[in-house]
Amino acid sequence: MPVVTLYLDRLQRLVGKANKSKILDVLPFLGLDIEEEQKDFVRVEYSPNRPDYATDVGIASGLQGLLGIKKGQVKVSVKKEKKKFLIKTDASVKKIRPFISAVIARNGKLDDESIRQLIALQEDLHFGIGRRRKKASIGIHNLDSVSSPLRYTAVSKDHEFVPLASVQSVTVKEILEKTATGQEYSHLLTDSKVPMILDAKNRTVSFPPIINSALTAVSTGTKNILVEVTGMDKGAVDDSLSVVATTLQNLGFAISDVMIDAKSSSDTFKARTILLDPALVNQILGLDLSVPKICDSLKKCRLDAIPRGKKILCSIPRFRFDILGEMDLVEEIALGHGIENLKPSLPPSISVGEKNNVTKKLDQITSVMIGLGFTEALNSSLTSRQVLYDYTKRDPSEIIEVAESKSLEHTVLRDSILPGLLENLSKNIHESYPQKLFETGVVFTKGHPIDETVTLSCVSAHKDTSFTEIKSILQSLLKTDSGITCKTNATTHPSFASGRTAEVLVGGKPVGIVGEIDSQVIENFKIRVPVSGFEIKLSGLIFD
Amino acid sequence: MSLVLHPIEKTMIKILRETPNLTPEEIAERSDLSIDQIRRGIEWLRLKNLAVVIESEKSFASLGKNGTLSLDEGLPERKLVQLIENNPVSLDDLRKKLLDEINTAIANAKRNDWIAIQKGESSNMVSLKQKPDQTGEEKLIALIGKNKIPIEHIGDLSALESLKKRPDYIILETIKSKTVSLTDEAKVIDLDAIESGAIDVAADAPVIFAARTHPLKDTINEIRETFVSLGFTEIMGDFAQPSFWNFDALFTPQDHPAREMQDTFYIKGNAAEKFATPSQIRQVSDSHRRGWKYNWNVDAAKKMVLRTHTTCVTIKYLAENKPEEARVFSLGRVFRNEKVSYKHLVEFNQVEGIVVGKNVSLRDLMGIQKEFYKKLGLSKIKFWPTFFPYTEPSLQTMVYNDKLEKWVELFGMGIFRPEVTRPFGITRPVLAWGGGIERIAMLKYGLDDVREFYNNNLGWLRSVPKCQ
Repeated sequence: MPVVTLYLDRLQRLVGKANKSKILDVLPFLGLDIEEEQKDFVRVEYSPNRPDYATDVGIASGLQGLLGIKKGQVKVSVKKEKKKFLIKTDASVKKIRPFISAVIARNGKLDDESIRQLIALQEDLHFGIGRRRKKASIGIHNLDSVSSPLRYTAVSKDHEFVPLASVQSVTVKEILEKTATGQEYSHLLTDSKVPMILDAKNRTVSFPPIINSALTAVSTGTKNILVEVTGMDKGAVDDSLSVVATTLQNLGFAISDVMIDAKSSSDTFKARTILLDPALVNQILGLDLSVPKICDSLKKCRLDAIPRGKKILCSIPRFRFDILGEMDLVEEIALGHGIENLKPSLPPSISVGEKNNVTKKLDQITSVMIGLGFTEALNSSLTSRQVLYDYTKRDPSEIIEVAESKSLEHTVLRDSILPGLLENLSKNIHESYPQKLFETGVVFTKGHPIDETVTLSCVSAHKDTSFTEIKSILQSLLKTDSGITCKTNATTHPSFASGRTAEVLVGGKPVGIVGEIDSQVIENFKIRVPVSGFEIKLSGLIFD
Repeated sequence: MSLVLHPIEKTMIKILRETPNLTPEEIAERSDLSIDQIRRGIEWLRLKNLAVVIESEKSFASLGKNGTLSLDEGLPERKLVQLIENNPVSLDDLRKKLLDEINTAIANAKRNDWIAIQKGESSNMVSLKQKPDQTGEEKLIALIGKNKIPIEHIGDLSALESLKKRPDYIILETIKSKTVSLTDEAKVIDLDAIESGAIDVAADAPVIFAARTHPLKDTINEIRETFVSLGFTEIMGDFAQPSFWNFDALFTPQDHPAREMQDTFYIKGNAAEKFATPSQIRQVSDSHRRGWKYNWNVDAAKKMVLRTHTTCVTIKYLAENKPEEARVFSLGRVFRNEKVSYKHLVEFNQVEGIVVGKNVSLRDLMGIQKEFYKKLGLSKIKFWPTFFPYTEPSLQTMVYNDKLEKWVELFGMGIFRPEVTRPFGITRPVLAWGGGIERIAMLKYGLDDVREFYNNNLGWLRSVPKCQ
């Protein structure tokens, strides 16, 4: 979850009429987790569905609502300028990255903190709704360094310009191949041509979705801003633009529209409406709120609401695209009403609980193993090829691997529990003997498409262990647990010593393997005492 | 402490009560014990704080070769005066008798003023001047005799000094010795009262370890019991799931970051063929199209993943049973493709409970939470809003931890979104909550590294108390 640093002086100034301790108390009720609290600042975690909380102006607006300082919707007021700023889209980008939208923000002031927060907001939008810049990516520019009309077009990879944070002119090809950002996002540009925004003087403004031009760099001196968003998904482009525009307005900028071909971008900021049934609200929250109270709660969450017949007409600003339907509004009402004002209740119940049959059987067999002197171990289902196959000399032809594991020790799904127990013994060679361990758990085999079976395995490690000892344990376990008698027939197994290994048969059907562990396997695990053990299938034997 | 004494110890205490400060050899002389038994007994008594051993050095004198000779024959000067006892004898004749000793004999006899020498015709004549008494040296030789005598037993130290000057008369040696004496406690022990059959019950016994269930399993069982006692029935499901049940059925869009390989384990080369009914697939597909406005792809739904939450078990249960009323829970392992660290595992346990009912509400969900935590011994709780992709409204429980003296985030909860339940024909509210179990177990066992649960370190497994 992303984190934002809130400087308390600044936040208090933005919220107005509330002391710092009140602000700190209310923060969690916006869904913000306080990660770190210092004298001058707090760091809070916000959920990725609320990118407007990447900035303190966004959070201040939420706080004003809950504190009752300002209620109702924050509308982006778009000033329609007489001399329109224009962007013309060329047909050549339709196949590459078809959508573009933009706004202008005038007469504002940016300090370092605002710039930092804007960049964080931009990254959140890129990652979340932008789906790693595929659906949408944002460029923020110094308006005064470009000339209208802009052209959104496709150019060859030989196109050259000076990218942001650089002084040298480089080609698109070089940017894609040599820079970190270029490498990360080059998969989004599969065509021979790439999208490019050029201004009236043919200067490069931006190379979406990779990097802006150095020409339009924003700094603390920047007064007027151009925001453009391009992407593969029109909805994501407009959503992203609405969040940035709202944030810039909250920062004190005046928003003006841009003509994209013949269409004004001001349409982007139209609010949506949802008709809400108060009965649903009261059912879900377990309350009996009046319509005015519900409307007030919505307004405290910076939405608009008016009664419409027996229902409530809610108006939702574009940037609140996290609100999909009525149920999302129910949550807003819960927040506006105050979670702390919801009194926990208990639903009447006459149901009798019960453990799953598999759990019951595993509890029983576990207690028998404890009675036989074995201590329970727990190992991961995901293990390594080395432990599962190499050290145990087992056949890896039916290996089940997971893709791109971040941890080398967890790449293969276990098809047996025994190797993990041997690894446990190898890590306990300095502890006193005898060491007796068992584990019950799921093992995986290829099937339809993956079959899951519950097995039990145990190991006994000490200087006098033998086939006879472990067979005694096995037969006592089966007899005590479920009155089962087993037979053992000579067999071979790569992990077990030849001549001291048997197949376990119950009612003539093979259910497992028992024996003394092969000396080479013991050596592979660097264990210093003899080990015996078994593994039996419990699925199909003591439960279905 | 109850005192148990070995017969050796008892014998030694008796001897030392009669005569304190004895050497081991001296104790051996006074008993029928071997010197080895005595040495062992001394160590035992010392450990029980019944005896003290003082180490000291002692000098002894014994006779050398010439000293021993003179013990039988007398000193040379004594032999000389015996030869001249009746008449003076010539020096030549005396030389024949006394041989090498003649010079020593003459010199010492003259110094003692026993003899006079006068010039004779052919040789000097030696005559007795007075009848000599026994000298200090002679007394000392007699005192030492064939023994080793401690120096402090010798009164006439000047005699010792003069004998030391004579070659091979006296051997001096220093011997280190130990003397044993009883402590005040040992002096008053009632030896008869100590029963011979008693053993030292205060002594350490060998350490053995009880076989036991795994501590994490104990926590899992405790949580499972809590659910059952609240009237919930356990449901189970596979670890490996088609993406359909893990993601699509829960309204997670197919291009959502959580579905990427860096967060989820995809099983290589495996796709589910039959994973849901055609109508379930159609309804879910429609829900995605409507809600997320994209073209849902059935192949992405077939990909097998290791379940990232137990919610897939819950939604499958709801889809298959369409219950009007239900209280069920699922508990088990879930998987996340994360770097393993002190706070992250790739595989951990999660529990999730749901309540389905006609009039159940968010307040009921909060009430069940309160009851659940109360059963786990956590009474100070509060609720904060949060975000989960498939519930709305969503809350999280904050529990006050007395050990850490702060609020700790535990289980999350919410009501399943209509976009999740409607495609499966479920119209009643589904209250759901759950979370990781290792988190609770870490608080319980006071661990700050979650990996400890899967290290199977016998040192820890054998020592951590079951009751926390």
